[in-house]
Amino acid sequence: MRVGLLFVSPWILGFLAFFAYPFFATLYYSFTNFDGMQNAHVIGFANYLALFHDSLFRTAVFNTFYYTAFELPLSTIVALGLALLLNMNVRGRAIYRTIFYIPSIVPLVASCMIFVWIFNPTSGIVNSMLNGLHIPGPDWFFSIAWSKPSFILLGLWGLGQPMVIYLASLQGISKDMYEVACLEGAGPFQRLRYVTLPLISPIILFNVVLQLVLCVSYFTQAQVIESQDVGGPGTSTWFFVQYLYEQAFEFLKFGYASAMGFFLFVITGLVTVLLFKSSSRWVYYEREQN
Amino acid sequence: MGQRVPVANPRRLRVAVQKVRSGALKHMVLIVVSVVFGFPLLWMALTSLKSNTQALAVPVVWWPHPFLWDNYPQVLSVVPFYRFFLNTLMYAGVTIVGVCISSSLVAYGFSRLRWRGRDALFYVMLSTLLIPFFATLIPLFVMYKHFHWVGTYLPLMVPTFFGSSVFSTFLLRQFFMTIPESLSDAARVDGANEFFIYSRIILPMAKPAMATVILFQFIYCWNDYIGPLVYINSTVWYPLSLGLNLILGTYATNWPWVMAAATAATVPIVILFFFTQRSFMGGIAIQGTGNKG
Repeated sequence: MRVGLLFVSPWILGFLAFFAYPFFATLYYSFTNFDGMQNAHVIGFANYLALFHDSLFRTAVFNTFYYTAFELPLSTIVALGLALLLNMNVRGRAIYRTIFYIPSIVPLVASCMIFVWIFNPTSGIVNSMLNGLHIPGPDWFFSIAWSKPSFILLGLWGLGQPMVIYLASLQGISKDMYEVACLEGAGPFQRLRYVTLPLISPIILFNVVLQLVLCVSYFTQAQVIESQDVGGPGTSTWFFVQYLYEQAFEFLKFGYASAMGFFLFVITGLVTVLLFKSSSRWVYYEREQN
Repeated sequence: MGQRVPVANPRRLRVAVQKVRSGALKHMVLIVVSVVFGFPLLWMALTSLKSNTQALAVPVVWWPHPFLWDNYPQVLSVVPFYRFFLNTLMYAGVTIVGVCISSSLVAYGFSRLRWRGRDALFYVMLSTLLIPFFATLIPLFVMYKHFHWVGTYLPLMVPTFFGSSVFSTFLLRQFFMTIPESLSDAARVDGANEFFIYSRIILPMAKPAMATVILFQFIYCWNDYIGPLVYINSTVWYPLSLGLNLILGTYATNWPWVMAAATAATVPIVILFFFTQRSFMGGIAIQGTGNKG
């Protein structure tokens, strides 16, 4: 049917112009010394070799890995935990849900402002409260050791999206399942482990993959806080995509930055494939369709 | 003691006590978590009404006194904040038109029509969600530079007319699929062509889903930072996000001002959220589970 293609054609054109072309162009640029102005000269694998000898690049990869390694599991646990809390049969659920959700619609720059302020080392409310408890508060965003955890906390504050998705999937579980489990004598933890988690595991996979893409390209919060000099000392929160951005738009090393862009794509793709491969072991797919 | 009270069944009493206790426990947990999540916003609003000395005072001054409402007009006039508002509204307005037109067309093609290769293409579309923004950024930037689009909103607007909002397309497709096929068939028997069915039958039925799409696109534009950071370079064209960044950089020692700016950018979106919560939550649920509601 030609008509079908006709309806889809806006997306096909967009896909070719804004995805397929730039994707292959990134790959091509990554083998050149393109600077955005002059013609590009092919220089083979020089950009990729340079990446492996670039200590700043290694730092950026390490920091991104650190952030992802903590943020991904923590965000899954927190979002799922909040959804489980909201799924309990208590009065005023809608109010709690609204409160948990709102942080994730706060503009990212505003949430950076708020966190930098409440975690301010000298006059922030968090350290004031810690002092009240006679616990010396760290320098949070200004400390090399604590800046990454500070960003992780900032990330955990805005988990409304996955939380609502988990909540919707929890509400889709039929009550019969739990009744049967109760009759079999399963306690609350067994019900969670053997009924709830298997049934929502496809949704967990979906959210983990989406969060992963976000973590690997972590940028906005770090860029805001570092570019305005309100945190992130030295290279302690120098993330991968920031380095790419700087190389491209401050030093005009488009070829070098393209190599990073392709590397980013490969890493994201690789981890996603691994997640899907492993999913046959931990994701439970219902046999019947619909 | 329960044994001495003849009326009360001790077992039932224990269950009742347990119920109340576990209900109270649940509320306690929920309230503690609510405080953790709500406090940063409360503290933002409170700080925005203090004087700077009050904000920095040790020990902490919890309640602003007097309420310095003047912080708002002051910080909103040191930068062209209203201009930033207008720029953001313009950015959102145009892209909402783009998304509504292109995503609904594409979603129609992916749901209400059967053709070879449809599902394969649909999966290709979904997989583009996994491609990081920065993996394709550089050639796009070079391309837009050739078009002389850098410095304008065109690089952020034009793609929305070509189905770039995959989430919107997906959401509309899921909605279109719930509309009974017999409706289209009846129209086809009467000789209606597909465009007529799309524009006169399906679209009018899809108003709630469209409202959700509009809402998400609006919030996306309101919060978008990376796009304008890359493409917008003169201050007069800044959207809110870059304007806030400017304030943070310039007045980072005047916390009440910074918090007033953050509040001013947050309050409209929170109010919008309160009025549209239902379509909001429903929309996210559709994206996640592929189910309506």
